[in-house]
Amino acid sequence: MSMNAQLVIEGVGKVYRVDEQTLAAVREVSLTVKRGEMVAVIGHSGSGKTTLLSMIGGIARPDSGRVLFNGRDIHTMNSDQLADYRCDKVGFMFQFASLLPMLTARENLLLPAAFGRSRGKPDGRAEQKAAELLALVGLGDRLAAYPAQLSGGQQRRVAIARAFMNDPELILADEPTGDLDEETEQDILRIFREYNRQGTTFVVVTHNRQLAASQDNPRVVRMKQGLLQEEIGPA
Amino acid sequence: MNSALEKQLNLLDYALASLWRRRLKNSSVLVVFTAVIFLVASFHLVTTALTETAGAVLRQTPEIVIQKMSAGRQEAIPVAYGEQLSRLFGIKKIVPRVWGYYFDEPFQANYTVLGVDPAAMPMGEHLVQTLLAGAWPGSAANQAVVGGAIRELLALSVAPPTVEDDFPDHSLFALHRPDRSLKLLSTVGVFRDETALLTADLIAMSLADARDLFQIPADLATDLCVYVHNPAEITNLARKIAAILPDTRVLTRPQIEQTYRVVFGWRSGFAAVCLLAALAAFVILAWDKASGLSPEERREIAILKILGWETADLLLVRCWEALIVALLAFVAGCTLAWLHVVFFEAALFRPVLVGWSVIHPPFALTPRIEVKDLLLLFVLTVLPYLAATVIPTWRGAVVPAEDALNG
Repeated sequence: MSMNAQLVIEGVGKVYRVDEQTLAAVREVSLTVKRGEMVAVIGHSGSGKTTLLSMIGGIARPDSGRVLFNGRDIHTMNSDQLADYRCDKVGFMFQFASLLPMLTARENLLLPAAFGRSRGKPDGRAEQKAAELLALVGLGDRLAAYPAQLSGGQQRRVAIARAFMNDPELILADEPTGDLDEETEQDILRIFREYNRQGTTFVVVTHNRQLAASQDNPRVVRMKQGLLQEEIGPA
Repeated sequence: MNSALEKQLNLLDYALASLWRRRLKNSSVLVVFTAVIFLVASFHLVTTALTETAGAVLRQTPEIVIQKMSAGRQEAIPVAYGEQLSRLFGIKKIVPRVWGYYFDEPFQANYTVLGVDPAAMPMGEHLVQTLLAGAWPGSAANQAVVGGAIRELLALSVAPPTVEDDFPDHSLFALHRPDRSLKLLSTVGVFRDETALLTADLIAMSLADARDLFQIPADLATDLCVYVHNPAEITNLARKIAAILPDTRVLTRPQIEQTYRVVFGWRSGFAAVCLLAALAAFVILAWDKASGLSPEERREIAILKILGWETADLLLVRCWEALIVALLAFVAGCTLAWLHVVFFEAALFRPVLVGWSVIHPPFALTPRIEVKDLLLLFVLTVLPYLAATVIPTWRGAVVPAEDALNG
């Protein structure tokens, strides 16, 4: 394992069982991601991209293989340690907006901060950071808006901003710009680049080759029928 | 601030926001839960008040009462019967008593008239403790002590009247003798509210006045009250008395207490079963509602878990939510129950616990709430609700985030 490797995936497999049938969503996938690297995972729908991301994030448990983060197998952690890992180390961006409807945009951003490293009440700094992040995604004037008062694209941007709240080491993004207009998409990609330059590692699932190609020297890997079929290399 | 405390405040913030978001559903639960607690608490207050009041008053009654029976019907007992018991060891005193029911037609009210001679009773001097105001009838004739309800009904004041209140004298009232002649009585005392269960409709007077009112000869009484030295010997003495006076019915205080307990017991038991059934139905409903977590709730749990919430955090939020609803319902339910019993005379339960007939005159209940009563109500109502809401959440929270996300 490289000294600089932050994320090491070793022969990971995941099989879903539906009734009597089994479906191998991910098969013997191995991948090493260095600290501060930007990896784009591309592939068709159903190729296993999201499942792979879920296993990296500790949401889904692999049936075989290991996922090592900073040298530790995350699937040997107990549920509380896994919760800490998800809270402190990882920022998630889902395919869907994943906002809680009873909280405002600002409160949705504070949600991970409330239970982050300090596990304390969001202080003024966290409030300020939430405001800055929302301004960064172009929603500086919608702090008090509830999700129902935001468009789908705006909700997506709030969720993107939330992923950065705890200064995670690793961002796992599943189709992050899927339903954004082109201009907003470019803004989001600029934010990704900025954080990436500061050392945040990104694993971005997309079937948008243009997105994969638009990163600064991204590493692009392709998933096909559960296999990490080829590594395309920097675009 | 302590980080553990801050975390709890965060969770409380979140719980309040969550409650507000589902305010319609939570308001309905709050209303129904408050109603259930109100019913259970009202019922408990009334039962406790009745039982305690009856117990307190019965402690002042004679240990044994002898009544003469004739062909199964009670009739006046010769005072001389007491002399036949004088050889029985253990009897402290035998005192004749005259009593009867009096129907006051203008007011459509039933009174209980009681004639006793406190001076002849072993604990007679303690009778004054049952009075809210005034004194027990002395040696002077035509004096009476009345229950609070009668005082209110007849608008009586307690003699002696003040100078300003000298005329007309509001302490006076009149009852009809059997020959329709009027017997004028002066109110010299009023019974305490705490004794209202047994004294609300009571008019107490001297033995001579009661005999005069009911036109009972001086050698007869309604019953004989027997006071004993050793309360443990009550049953033995009662058996001996019954053997000596075969034409009498001998009632003991334990028997009367037992009768009250049985009366309140089966009535309260009947009502308790109905109320507990309502409570159980509510808990089952809460369980059913909470155990079938909606897709929205499952998704919320999944998102929170993915954002780094621990299972314990999710449980704490649900605990806070349930606790807030339950405590609000508990405080509101208990307060309403208190108001219901004190100001509305337990209108919902009075017919069940006191009797189905119309009681004339009415009397007020004086409930007393103790910490143990509140704890009992808390255990009966709040804890089942907490269990019914938190346990299903725990079942939902331990599901892996992936499964929760996929519904």
